[in-house]
Amino acid sequence: MNGWTGQFLRVNLTTKTYKKEPFSEEFARKWIGGRGFAAKILFDELAPGIDPLGPDNKFIVALGPIAGIPAPNTGKAVVAGKSPSTGGYGDGNLGTRVAEQLRKAGYDVLIVEGRAAAPTMLYIEDDKVEFLPAEAVWGKGTYETNDWIYAKYGKGVGVLNIGQAGENLIRYAVVRSLEGRAGGRTGMGAVMGSKLLKAVVVKGTRPIPQADPAGMKKVGYDDLREVNRIDKKTGWSIQSTNGVLAWCNEVAALPVRNFRKTHHPDAWKCDGERLNNARIATYGCPNCTMRCGITIRDEEGRESELDYENVGLLGPNLEIFDLPPIGSLNYMCDDYGVDTMSGGCVLSFYADAVDHGAAPGDLRFGDSAGFKKLLTSIALRQGEIGDLLAEGSLRAARKFGHGSVDYAMQVKGLEVAAYNCKFIPGMALAFGVSPIGAHHKESWVITFELKQSVRESYGPEKAKKVIELQRIRGGLFESIVACRFPWIENGWSLENYPKYFKLVSGLDWTLDDFWTVADRVYAMIKLFWLREYPGADRKQDYPPAVWFDPTNVDTEGPIAGKHLEYDKYDVLLQHYYDLRGYDRRGIPTRATLERLGLAEEGRAAERFGSLT
Amino acid sequence: MKITVKLIGPFVQLLGFGEKEMDVPADTTVEGLVALVGVDRSRPRIVTRNGRAAAPGEGLAAGDRIAISPIYSGG
Repeated sequence: MNGWTGQFLRVNLTTKTYKKEPFSEEFARKWIGGRGFAAKILFDELAPGIDPLGPDNKFIVALGPIAGIPAPNTGKAVVAGKSPSTGGYGDGNLGTRVAEQLRKAGYDVLIVEGRAAAPTMLYIEDDKVEFLPAEAVWGKGTYETNDWIYAKYGKGVGVLNIGQAGENLIRYAVVRSLEGRAGGRTGMGAVMGSKLLKAVVVKGTRPIPQADPAGMKKVGYDDLREVNRIDKKTGWSIQSTNGVLAWCNEVAALPVRNFRKTHHPDAWKCDGERLNNARIATYGCPNCTMRCGITIRDEEGRESELDYENVGLLGPNLEIFDLPPIGSLNYMCDDYGVDTMSGGCVLSFYADAVDHGAAPGDLRFGDSAGFKKLLTSIALRQGEIGDLLAEGSLRAARKFGHGSVDYAMQVKGLEVAAYNCKFIPGMALAFGVSPIGAHHKESWVITFELKQSVRESYGPEKAKKVIELQRIRGGLFESIVACRFPWIENGWSLENYPKYFKLVSGLDWTLDDFWTVADRVYAMIKLFWLREYPGADRKQDYPPAVWFDPTNVDTEGPIAGKHLEYDKYDVLLQHYYDLRGYDRRGIPTRATLERLGLAEEGRAAERFGSLT
Repeated sequence: MKITVKLIGPFVQLLGFGEKEMDVPADTTVEGLVALVGVDRSRPRIVTRNGRAAAPGEGLAAGDRIAISPIYSGG
């Protein structure tokens, strides 16, 4: 079988055993890889209702047919498991040498089961798997852990590791790799921590099976050079992702003060131009020629890598506008292994709750020293408030009461990304129907809403666009496993990806073939949620209540007096369900499951929740 | 008439300014301003006028704030 190694590596930390498991070409074609593999494996192997932080959960690293092969931008891996933050399916991707090394070792998927008796580092080298002690770095941050691993094995190995947040089971702990990469904001770092798995180190020495390796090599390197040429022409990586901050501020989409405001006169202080001016170095993922990781000196003089999401949510969202203190909070998140996005939303939620008298304390927006102190208490679970906020904004809000759930900025328990949808209906839908909780990686429609639709519209064109982008971003890129940035930011043609797929697998697919698999994967994930929450209804796909609150409107600016409206949002949501072939609860119908080749999975899910 | 022009993202480096007040003729349109500023006409872009997306032929008014941005796709 070309294009895939054809093997999973299954490791059990409880018994310290491992085995290689072949998978069929039929399985590979049906699910492609990455998120597709992870969703199917987790659905088949996890009993509904298990504790995501218990030994029955599984930590999965899943790769796709072009992952790790030199081509734009293939140095990424998917990490997945049952999410500690949502209780549903959870995943994320991150740039890592594991993408190449695990495939060279002979595996497309690593499945980690059980729980180690003591802190453990898993070392994988081709056929060899070692369970090594990790007490020396237990309790240490991700930077020190990474250095400790590099000192042992050199910088060429693939590394995934966690910091104190993962060890302490912070529900939004991430997995970290390389100098500044993080992924799995659905709590995959906590899943590793629950297994006492401090790190995974991978080295592979074998060729990745490909149908036309010489052709792929030529096309891959040519295209890497071409993407670099295009990026130099467009200038995208001058400001990288943070270029969008100034635009969000212009169009009233910036999160300010726990999303209560949508723009701020001081936002320019932390925009892309200022970030570029403060740049001391640039980092990127493997196989990337449009590197987006801009580092600056933080308040303590450390090198901190910033992008838009962490600037937006640790900056204006906390009413902090100077880059050095934003950099400090970001560095702390990265070192502890806290997701910067959820971390920013949890911090802002608490300040908002204090401000509204729902929570005890005296923390105020803009108090960067106070936020640093609180972040440490969360990552280390120190004190009652730190321990509670480590559970995420939704759980904390339920404890605080006083209506604070309404301004816990989350969907399904996962905090929203740095786009304020107070009056952006389509993007609010994209957050609402994201299959892992609120995340922008699945679909991002704001430019479309403003330029090719009407901001006020709740029409089917927005639901259609959300699905189109889900198929590309959450489907194609998360399954073949590559970074979407060449396409979304520099216009790299989507037609290149079937081309790469054919060179590695020999299969002559069209993009429509990939969309079919994408729809199958989204439906599979919906069935996972149905089993976990059989009584849930369409309200689980609603964005935060504060965006609907008429007392929370802007008093000036482009959306003055406007807010989302429940009845109209519900119509938009129904457009989405209708186009997807889902019922009124947002669950795929039997007919849809049949069409997508999921009849058997549907019958399995029906033992726990009903289908229509 | 006087308006404020704000450039976003790489347009700042490519065109040499971030934000400035400009004195333009009273009949200036959105596309006219884009040409005046020097944005490559072949480059996909979104122009907002006072925070709302503006059509190419839309006329400007004194005191407007115009932001010219490449098309971002949300990271």
